[in-house]
Amino acid sequence: MVNKISTEEMITAEETDILQEIMNIAFGRAASDLAEYIDIFVILSVPYIKLLQASDLPPYINTEIMDYDKVSVVEQNFWGKFKGSAFLIFPAGTGKRIISLFDGGDDFVESDPIYELEKETFREVGNILIGACIGKIAELLGDVITYSPPRVVIEKSHRSVVSDSLFDPENLAIVLRTVFEFNEKNISGYLFIVTSQESFGWLKTALHKFVEQYE
Amino acid sequence: MIKRILIVDDSPISIKIMKSCIPKDKDYELFDAADGQLGVDKYKEIKPDLTFMDLTMPVMDGFHALVEIMKLDQRAIVIIVTADVQIKAIARAHDLGAFSVLRKPPSKELIAAAIKEVDETLAQLG
Repeated sequence: MVNKISTEEMITAEETDILQEIMNIAFGRAASDLAEYIDIFVILSVPYIKLLQASDLPPYINTEIMDYDKVSVVEQNFWGKFKGSAFLIFPAGTGKRIISLFDGGDDFVESDPIYELEKETFREVGNILIGACIGKIAELLGDVITYSPPRVVIEKSHRSVVSDSLFDPENLAIVLRTVFEFNEKNISGYLFIVTSQESFGWLKTALHKFVEQYE
Repeated sequence: MIKRILIVDDSPISIKIMKSCIPKDKDYELFDAADGQLGVDKYKEIKPDLTFMDLTMPVMDGFHALVEIMKLDQRAIVIIVTADVQIKAIARAHDLGAFSVLRKPPSKELIAAAIKEVDETLAQLG
């Protein structure tokens, strides 16, 4: 059974380092794309890579974002040799501040259809950050990716961000996590990219090919 | 003339890539450090002719390390090699005294050209 293989055997420390650096490059490019679009400065952090049993994925993400009571989530699936799901997560209440990044003002009329506007804004930010990040990972590793339309959920409990049925619970999953802040509006958020065991074989080969070009 | 080069980056792979991109024919002495604070400490110890510095690092980020190094030596030559390619990040690095800013992942050609530019600048300064 695949799940009997220890996590250490599935991805080595060197492969984790390479993936971390690729995530760093990819999210940096995504932040740059967003910063050009809405004139902000995104403060980046060092990405973190974790390999875990797929059944542990929902509790892992719940724990990571437990400081947020409710969250707004942009979820997007992607397919290529690199296959999985991305979750862009903001704490509740950031929607209006993010909208103001787009329209340049902080004034809202009570009667504004703010819920729909929030959803559209999150969808746009998600499209840019997730698309650019996954796209750059795929480019660096020689893959071509297709995406599902982003799904946006506003003010959701942090306990139900990732479904138990996302991956086969018997399989393993790799989580790429980065935390970011939008300097101007004191907005922080998380990006989780999760890929299932189906992609591991290709991913390991692609990571080594990436480094070999420098040897 | 450049003799000693310091690479400051928290990623061991990134350091390996940088070392592979630095031309081998000049017998540079290569040193590395795994975060900004260690980079500043190493700078004090070895006084490199050129420092390649990442920006996003734990403990002390590259912006702060750049400030500390410039305080130690106003003539320090620090090239930022970063994944953070936001225009404001690049502008801030220049404002803080970076010699130039290169995008990750680097290439051998780009690193060789950057080193040549530093050599020419050092030659002009005498």
